[in-house]
Amino acid sequence: MASLLEWTLVLVGQALITVGVFCDLVASISMLRFPNFYTRLHAATVGSIGGAFVPIVGVALVAAGSEFLGVYRWFLSGASLVIAFVELLLAGAGSHALARATHRSRAAPVQPVIVDQLEEDRGKGEV
Amino acid sequence: MKFLDELAGTSLHASNLIKAIVLRIMGWSLMIDLESWVLTYLTLLMIPYFIAFLLYLVRILKGPTLSDRVLAVDALGYDLAAFMTMLTILVRSPIIIVCSVVLILWIFSLDIYVAKYLEAKELGG
Amino acid sequence: MMDYVDLVFLMMGITAVISVSFTFLAVKTKDLMHAVIFSSVQSIAYALVYFLLMAPDIVLVYVAVSVGIYPLILILVVKRVGRFEVTA
Repeated sequence: MASLLEWTLVLVGQALITVGVFCDLVASISMLRFPNFYTRLHAATVGSIGGAFVPIVGVALVAAGSEFLGVYRWFLSGASLVIAFVELLLAGAGSHALARATHRSRAAPVQPVIVDQLEEDRGKGEV
Repeated sequence: MKFLDELAGTSLHASNLIKAIVLRIMGWSLMIDLESWVLTYLTLLMIPYFIAFLLYLVRILKGPTLSDRVLAVDALGYDLAAFMTMLTILVRSPIIIVCSVVLILWIFSLDIYVAKYLEAKELGG
Repeated sequence: MMDYVDLVFLMMGITAVISVSFTFLAVKTKDLMHAVIFSSVQSIAYALVYFLLMAPDIVLVYVAVSVGIYPLILILVVKRVGRFEVTA
C-alpha cells in the first residue's frame, strides 16, 4: 500500500507534468502563429524549458514515488534528473548559437526592431 | 455521509478537525490504487503531446527560412525526449530511458552544424 | 487502468506516414540545406517508431548516425558544391 509520502511525491510530479504539457501546447501554437524568426525564439524557449525541463523533473518525482516499478525506480529518478540538467544546459546554448549565426549571416530579416546596435557596431568594424 | 457524522460527533476542536481530515485523506489514498492512477494519467497525457508534435511539424513544413526549420526541429527533439522519459514509466522498462539523453545530445549537435554553416558563409571559412 | 496499446499503435502509424512524407519532401526540394533538415526529421520519426517498438539499442545507433554524423557529412558537401540545386 502506498503511503502518504509517496502520494505527495506523485501528486507534485503530476502537477509539474501538467504545467509542462500546457507550456508545450502553448509553445507549439505560438510557433505556428508568430510572424518571424526572432519572435519564434521565444516560443522555442517556452517549448524547450517549460515543455521539456519541467515535465522531466516531474517524471523524476513520479518515478521516485511509484513503488510498483520496484528497485529500478531510483535509477529512473536519477537518470531523469541527469537528463533534465543536460537539457537545461543544451537548449539555451543551441538556440543562442542559432540566433547569433542568423543575425550575423542576415539569413532572416530583423523584423520587430527599434534600434539594432549590434548591426551598427558591426558596420563600423568593432565586433 | 459518514465523514460528516463523525465530524458532528466530535467536539468542534481544531486539533480534532485536523486529525479527522488527515485520517480521511489517508483513507482516500488507501482506497485509490496508485499504479492505476499514475498509468491512466500518463496514458491520457500522450494525446496533447502528440498534437504538439504535429503542430511543430506544420512549422517545419511552412518555415520560410532555414533558421525557422532548424528551430522547430530543436523544439520537436527536446519535447520528444521529454515524451520518451514519460513513456518509460508507462511501459515499465527502465533501461530505455537512455534514448532520450542521446536524442538531446545529437539534436544539439545538429543545431551547432547549421550555425557553423551560416556563420562560415559570412566569414568565408 | 487505461489500455495504452491501441494508442501506441495509432501513434506508430501516424509517425510512419509522417516519415514517408518527409522523405518525399527531401527528394523533391531544390534547396539542399532544407533537404538535410527534412532528412533529419525523417530520422527523428524513425527514432520514435523504434522507441515505441521497444528497441532501444537500434535507437541509440540510429540517432547517432542519422541525426549526428550524416547531416555533418552532408553539410560539408553542401558547403563545397553550393546550396541550390541547378536544373539543367
